[in-house]
Amino acid sequence: MIHFENASVVYPGGVHALKNLTLDIPDGQMMVIVGLSGAGKSTLVRAINGLVPLTSGDVTIDGVSVRHAKPHQLREIRSRIGMIFQTFNLVKRTTVLNNVLMGRFHSSGTLRSVLGLYRPEDTEIAMQALERVGIVDKAYVRASNLSGGQQQRVGIARALAQQPKIILADEPVASLDPPTSHMVMRDLQRINRELGITTIVNLHFLDLARVYGERIIGMRAGELVYDGTAAKADENVFRDIYGRSLTADDVLGEPTTSAAAT
Amino acid sequence: MSATAAASPARPPRPRRSVTVPIGILAFIAITWAALSAEIGIGLDVLEILSDLGNGARIWAEFLEPNWAFLPQTARPMLETVQMAIVASVLGCSLALPVSFLASRVTSPNVVSFVANRGILSVVRAIPDLLYALVFVAAVGIGALAGVLALLLFSIGVTAKLLSETVDGVDAGPIESARASGGGRLQIVRWSVLPQVLPNYVAYSLYVFELNVRASTVIGLVGAGGIGRLLNTERVYFRYENVSVIVIELFLFVFLIELGSIWLRRRLV
Repeated sequence: MIHFENASVVYPGGVHALKNLTLDIPDGQMMVIVGLSGAGKSTLVRAINGLVPLTSGDVTIDGVSVRHAKPHQLREIRSRIGMIFQTFNLVKRTTVLNNVLMGRFHSSGTLRSVLGLYRPEDTEIAMQALERVGIVDKAYVRASNLSGGQQQRVGIARALAQQPKIILADEPVASLDPPTSHMVMRDLQRINRELGITTIVNLHFLDLARVYGERIIGMRAGELVYDGTAAKADENVFRDIYGRSLTADDVLGEPTTSAAAT
Repeated sequence: MSATAAASPARPPRPRRSVTVPIGILAFIAITWAALSAEIGIGLDVLEILSDLGNGARIWAEFLEPNWAFLPQTARPMLETVQMAIVASVLGCSLALPVSFLASRVTSPNVVSFVANRGILSVVRAIPDLLYALVFVAAVGIGALAGVLALLLFSIGVTAKLLSETVDGVDAGPIESARASGGGRLQIVRWSVLPQVLPNYVAYSLYVFELNVRASTVIGLVGAGGIGRLLNTERVYFRYENVSVIVIELFLFVFLIELGSIWLRRRLV
C-alpha cells in the first residue's frame, strides 16, 4: 500500500506543488489523477518514487519511508516501481531491447549492465515484457525508428521488465493520437488486471479517466479536491476539479461513448 | 485562474529595447580598431603587405618547384608523425571520456567534482601545445616520446572540453527514466548518456586526430620528433624546394583524414 501522510512539496522557486496531502492507495488499484496542468499531478506521481523529494510529511510504500530512504534504499524502492512518461523517455539511438533491459538495471548489477553482459534470464524477462505489449518483433530495431504508439509500448515494456509492484504513468497518452491513446490505456488496464500491479495514471482527458479509472482523484493547486469512484465522477465533479466549465478540449472522444462537452 | 474570454487583459507596454547588442557591436569595432592602430596595436598596414609581397619572390619560386627526389627521405619522419598522432589521439580520447562525464553538470557526482574537473581542464587547455613540448623535451629528452606526451595533454584538453559541453546538453528524459527504474550513476552514464553523445565523441576524436597531425608538425620544431624536426632542418638551410614537398605532403594527408572522418561520421550518425 502507498500511504501519503501530510505530504508537501515546495519547489525552490516557492511554488507549493503539493499541500498536506494524505492519501491511501491500496494494492492492485487502478487510480487516475485528474487536474489542470500545474495542479500537482506530476509532483504527486514523482513523490512516490522519490524523483521529486518531499519538503515535509512522508510517503511510505508498504510501511517503508521514501523520504528517509538512503540512496541505495531509494534505488531498491525505485526498482519495484515502473514508470511511464509523456515523452516516452527512451534512448532513441539504441535498440528497443536495450531500452527494455534498463528495467533490469537493479537486478543485474552495475558491472553486468555497464558492459551490456546481461544474464540470459534478464534478457528473457525483457523479451517477455515486449511480448506482453505485442512488439517483440521490434526487439532489435532502433527505438528512433518506431512510431509514437510503439515507443510508448516500449516504455511500458521497460516498466514491466522491472517486474514492478507499482506502475506510475505520467500523462502517458498526451503525445499520442486518440486511437493510439485508447490502445495504450487498454494495455495499462490489462496489465493492472492480469498482473495485479497498482497503477497510477495522470490524465487530463475526463472521458479517458472515467473509462479506465477504477478510482479517480482530482487535484487543484496542489490539493486533493475529489476522491471517489469513476462511476460517481460526473460532469459537475470535473467542473469542480477544473474550477471552470468544461470544454471540448477536455475530452478525447473516439472509440468510447463519452459525455458531451459543454 | 478563471479564464473567461469576455474581457481580454490590457496589452502590455512595449518593453524597452535592449542596449546590449548595440553596445556589444560598438565595443567590437573599437577593440578591432585599437588592435590595428599603430599607436597601441600591431600597426597593420595593408599597403605595406602588398609592397613587401615581392620580397619573397625567390622563396615563392623555389616553393613552386618542389624537389620530388627529397620525397623518400620524408617517409620515416612522416610515419613517426602519424604514429605520434595516433598514439596520442587514442590515449588522449580514451582518457578524456571519463573526464568528460566528471566535468559535466549532468553526470558529475557532485558540485565539487564538477567544478574541480572543469577547472583542471581549463588549466590544461590554457597551456599551449608548444609549451608542453618544450617542457617534455626538457624532461624526457628530444624525440617522439616528448611529442606524444605533449599531444596527449592537448588531446585530453580539447576532447574533454567539447564532450563535457555536449553531455551538458543531452536529453534529460532517458536519464529520468533510468533513475526511475533504480539505475545508478554508472548505468545512467552508460545507457542514457553515452548513446546520445557517441556520434559527437567519434567526431571530436577524429577532429583531435587531425589537430594532432598538424600540431605534431609544430612541436617537431622544438625537438619533439616527427616531420616537424625535418621541416625545421630544411627551413633553417633555406631548402625551400624540400620544405615545399613536406608542406604538400602534410596538406594531402590532413585532407585525406578529413575525408575519412566525414565518411566515418556519416556511417555512425
